[in-house]
Amino acid sequence: MSEENWIEVGSTDSIEEEDLIRFDHQDKTFCVYRLTDGFYATDGICTHEAVHLEDGLVMDDEIECPMHQGIFNIKSGEALSPPACEDLKTYPVKVDNDKIFIKIG
Amino acid sequence: MKNNIIILGGGQAGIYAAREIRQNDSKSNIKILGEENLLPYERPPLSKDYLLDKKNEEDLYFHSSDVLKNENIEFENISINKVDFENKKLSAKNYNVYSYDSLLISTGSENKKLSLDNNLMNDVYYLRNLEEAKKIKEIVSNKNKITIIGGGFIGLEIASSLSQLQKKVIVIEIGNQLMGRIIPKKIADLVQNTHIEHGNEIILNKQIEKITKKNGIYEILLNDNSLIETDFIIAGIGSTPAVKLFENTNLKLDNGIVTNQFCETSIKDVYAAGDISNFYHPLYERSMRLESYQHAQNHGICAGKNIAGIKTEYTSIPWMWSDQFNLNLQLTGICDDYDEIIERGNDINNGVIYFFLKNNKIRGACGVGIVGKIGRDIRITSKLIEKNTIVDKQILSDQNQKLNKLIQR
Repeated sequence: MSEENWIEVGSTDSIEEEDLIRFDHQDKTFCVYRLTDGFYATDGICTHEAVHLEDGLVMDDEIECPMHQGIFNIKSGEALSPPACEDLKTYPVKVDNDKIFIKIG
Repeated sequence: MKNNIIILGGGQAGIYAAREIRQNDSKSNIKILGEENLLPYERPPLSKDYLLDKKNEEDLYFHSSDVLKNENIEFENISINKVDFENKKLSAKNYNVYSYDSLLISTGSENKKLSLDNNLMNDVYYLRNLEEAKKIKEIVSNKNKITIIGGGFIGLEIASSLSQLQKKVIVIEIGNQLMGRIIPKKIADLVQNTHIEHGNEIILNKQIEKITKKNGIYEILLNDNSLIETDFIIAGIGSTPAVKLFENTNLKLDNGIVTNQFCETSIKDVYAAGDISNFYHPLYERSMRLESYQHAQNHGICAGKNIAGIKTEYTSIPWMWSDQFNLNLQLTGICDDYDEIIERGNDINNGVIYFFLKNNKIRGACGVGIVGKIGRDIRITSKLIEKNTIVDKQILSDQNQKLNKLIQR
């Protein structure tokens, strides 16, 4: 993977702890989360039905879809509770000079 | 110890119970007896994505047959017509007999039917299972003007789907608002406006006097003497627990099978879960019967634990949703027992939620918004109900303030 795959999302203070922001890049949508132990990123659309997870609830290490309460583990992307059954894709995240980057592609 | 565990009813509660039992008990025989010749499948998409061809039959199954095989859960398509609780036996129409040590009844609910002249009984369609959805999908493909009798969740979801299939849809509702009295009038009106904006016709406060058929076209006479001509009729007028099989037994029935907070019925070693069970909810300190996806799943899991010997109270906060057009409506808790109502938000784009409070604690909430907009707040509300939190009403009513501030850690 080349350096170009790291895309800047924004500054670290743009996300409150135990919260997320939506990040759109080209034609894709991502969610970037701030958990107690760091930053994480996943695809931004629920794998069950096309709804943005940005309106979902972050609790501990989990994101819950706002439409049908499918639950995913933010760190692994694992679908934990139906109606979600397909895992959510996750992406590497790094922080450099208070800026968040995610690695896409 | 190895037991024979029978699960009567192959729906969501049944399959989740079966898998939960297996997680805690590797030895017992677990057999699901289902009336439909299909592995357990999801019903919510039937009125929406399945009608719209966004999901097909294969997408609906909870688990593949491999999962059941791996977990040694048997599934048999059979119709039971006699239950002998005293001797712990079930008999099928084909004279097969099934003995059990523990029995879970999860036979769900069935549609209420319109009382019609006998010659029209088969002309009105209902939607509960995949076979019915298949038939409706096939028939509507060459119909144009479709009438839906009943303005509840199922009728409106079908109306939304058929409108998206470019059909002319008329909804007739006997009450003075859509979705029954439990939904706040303002929310019912917002949903109604969305239907009207998409071209659906909504008729409230009208009863059906008579339906006749002439040259393949139906005429529906309403109690104000107006006449509706239509190509096809679908009814969604509510459901009742499927208890016929148990009516002449010792099993205690009252709006379904009466169960305690452990999914136990009045008969030892007999449990009930899902739509069929009128269960005691310890948090609300009353009995209730629910028909929802989340309940069927969680109640099945709870029954599974109890059958496997892990005594577990059922304390899930009720939750359900309905999707119509680009709207997502959600209900949590119980909305019929309150001393105060608080409103949050006032437009559909950002979502509107009504909270029902008693003694400064939320008992239930109902909200609607463009897809995704109310989900987080409703979920937080469920947690506030569960924790019995005394809430700051000012935060509750102000959409600019996040509700997670109210969660006590």
